[in-house]
Amino acid sequence: MAALRNKSDQEIKDLLDEYGIKHGPVVDTTRPLYEKKLKETMAKAKVTVTKPSPDRTFYREDQEEVTYVTYQTPVRSEGPSGDGKPYMRSRPEYSERDRVDDKPYSRPEYSERDRVDDKPYSRSRPEYSERDRLDDKLYSRSRPEYSSGRPYIDEPHVYNTPSSSSYSKPTPVVKSGGGVVKKENTTSSGRLIPLWVQFLVFLILAGFLYFIFTNMESAESSPFNRIQ
Amino acid sequence: MSSTSQKHKEFVAEPMGEKPVNALAGIGEVLGRRLEEKGFDKAYVVLGQFLVLKKDEELFRDWLKDSCGANVKQQGDCYGCLREWCDSFL
Repeated sequence: MAALRNKSDQEIKDLLDEYGIKHGPVVDTTRPLYEKKLKETMAKAKVTVTKPSPDRTFYREDQEEVTYVTYQTPVRSEGPSGDGKPYMRSRPEYSERDRVDDKPYSRPEYSERDRVDDKPYSRSRPEYSERDRLDDKLYSRSRPEYSSGRPYIDEPHVYNTPSSSSYSKPTPVVKSGGGVVKKENTTSSGRLIPLWVQFLVFLILAGFLYFIFTNMESAESSPFNRIQ
Repeated sequence: MSSTSQKHKEFVAEPMGEKPVNALAGIGEVLGRRLEEKGFDKAYVVLGQFLVLKKDEELFRDWLKDSCGANVKQQGDCYGCLREWCDSFL
């Protein structure tokens, strides 16, 4: 609303009423004051409106990146079949990321991707992080498709058995990624000691103190009894 | 109630007539000159603005700050002076 100056007095008055600003008649001497007030109020209103959305997308990106990074290790450990093949399968996000390798690739076309994937696949491991950022939106869109269990034509045998068992649920992967984060990588959560360890230590300590407390001698008997 | 200045007492004691703008409490030489440059050369013109702003304190204070750069104390003095004058004579 940059054209406050060009509005008529009546329009200024209407805007003031709309924002609930107390005012008098809009005359020559009062107009600049009211324009200023309107500008401030509109700026404030705009800020509150636009704030949530950028955060939302940002969060999603963040989460995806995080889950991506942390997932690498567990996947690696369990993938005897190939270098990184299970990677792709296990993490639906991963596979989508792989897709990024081939730029002309269209998102939903998984099957073609597989074939082309072999080479970029192995080297793409460390490059995932970059790709993540590119792909977030595409990612999220195609994820629901993923859950349907899209087959990887090239290496179905590799993926399906080991990975599907462990990562059979693509969607919870995202959520469990949070848990994995804590175990593997502390960069995102920022905890030196995992939460469950903290709880455990606390419980042990509490139990120990309770044990001591209950085994204390009762104070009813006078400590000053003569030893006879 | 905060004590009022001599200027304030003098102003509210009688109809303002053609008194200059720096007769108002809170408005000294510098502020008075700035107001005159904007066309508010007499106290009654400032009174007119005060009335057009419906005698609202916040609006008047904002306007005074914008037009001559009055600080909070000066704004308060001027507002109080005009309001009391209005109570007596308007």
